[in-house]
Amino acid sequence: MNWDIIADNLPRYLEGTKLTLLLTFASLGISFFLALPLAFLRNSNNRVVQYTVLAYTLVFRGTPLLIQLFLIYFGLAQFSLIRDSVIWPWLSSPMVCVLAAFVLNTAAYTTEIFAGGLRTIPVGEIEAARAYGMSGWTQARRILIPAMLTRSLPLYGNEMIMMLHATSLASTVTLLEVTGVARQISLNDYIQFEPYMTAAAIYLTLTFVLVSGFQLVQKRWAGYLQSRIG
Amino acid sequence: MRLPMTSLFAALAVSGALITSMAAAEPLKIATDATFPPFESVDSSGKLVGYDVELMQAVCDAAKLDCDIANAAWDGMIPGLIDGKYDALISQLTVTEKRRKVIAFSDIYDHPIFRFVGKKGTDYTFTDEGLKGKTIAVQTGTPMDAYVTAHYPQATIKRYDSGSAPYLELAAGRADLHLSYQAQITHSFLKGDSGKDYELVGPALTGKDAPEFGEGVAIAINKRNTKLVEQINQGLATIRDNGTLKALNDKYFGE
Repeated sequence: MNWDIIADNLPRYLEGTKLTLLLTFASLGISFFLALPLAFLRNSNNRVVQYTVLAYTLVFRGTPLLIQLFLIYFGLAQFSLIRDSVIWPWLSSPMVCVLAAFVLNTAAYTTEIFAGGLRTIPVGEIEAARAYGMSGWTQARRILIPAMLTRSLPLYGNEMIMMLHATSLASTVTLLEVTGVARQISLNDYIQFEPYMTAAAIYLTLTFVLVSGFQLVQKRWAGYLQSRIG
Repeated sequence: MRLPMTSLFAALAVSGALITSMAAAEPLKIATDATFPPFESVDSSGKLVGYDVELMQAVCDAAKLDCDIANAAWDGMIPGLIDGKYDALISQLTVTEKRRKVIAFSDIYDHPIFRFVGKKGTDYTFTDEGLKGKTIAVQTGTPMDAYVTAHYPQATIKRYDSGSAPYLELAAGRADLHLSYQAQITHSFLKGDSGKDYELVGPALTGKDAPEFGEGVAIAINKRNTKLVEQINQGLATIRDNGTLKALNDKYFGE
């Protein structure tokens, strides 16, 4: 065992962890605000709108994230039209490509999770809101969105964990997050167990913190659903 | 009761012996990272081809070894050799002090030249100051990686898992320069359509210029397997003497 190599590289793991957290929370944060309206559009009475959103979520849930990332990072770069365009300074950055792929992917899943939560709101709650004379906007803000989010919490928690773990793909396009650091140590020092074990321990710790935080959130905001089940 | 037990043990012993003899007859597992033409790559029919692949086969034939050359990912090769997953590696592996500590090498069979490749008509000063802010693409964990890391700390160094990804980045304009084996640059990039606006730039580097480039390239073998080192060296000597190696050099690198 070569744990002293790991000890020497701890600062790099720390940098990697920072990047992993940045990628996770940036992707989740942006996609949350994209998924909110998309979930409503997904349940729209307008067929065109409904199917457009469905097509988007199907494409991004129906293809592997790694392929999406490669298409955005390597695939788009192949076209000189794109390389000469104004968006190229953005697209040439691995960070932007990675975030674009992650956001598009997790927003697709989150949209379906939220849309599902929206469909399970008891009609009575919506009728009560109407009976109070709430406008559509007030209904959404005070009843629908909170009810949708609290009902989606358990599934959304899983999606957050999946997103955290999916950030390991960023290492394939030169970003040195936790997995990237582990791979680089492996390639330079010819050991595999130690660097990947360390990476696994970091992901486990992060997941544990995420799950604990999530349980607090669930207790605070979704507690009223709990009593009904138990 | 006694008899069946003995026969059972006898049967076990026989099958045990069978398994060991089968293990002995198993071909040697030799790994190569086939993303590095003309040395090692996969052709359109999925077959491994290239200088190293042919050389390894010739060595195996000369040493009367039964070899199975398989494609493996670069990042798992050396650890796989150390762990005994592979018996040997052939992948233009340069012999360096650091690698000698963990794996054994055969005799050196080639002395490669390392070059930078960049866009035609651009002028670079190959000093740390001169390449400041430039992006250099290299394959992770290679001598090229070690060299640019040590000599051009002010440049932005981008590292890739495979030998082919840096060319995509060069063509896309994400990297200004790429450092690799001259023969590989010429063969896998400059000759092709995507490489027509690029050329070899900067100094021609060898192991004499910097220790990072090592003593030359050799076949890597598990440290504990001293017998195999001998056998492979014998095979190398044979193909050197009977002209096979020269024919191979002419075929791939002759003008």
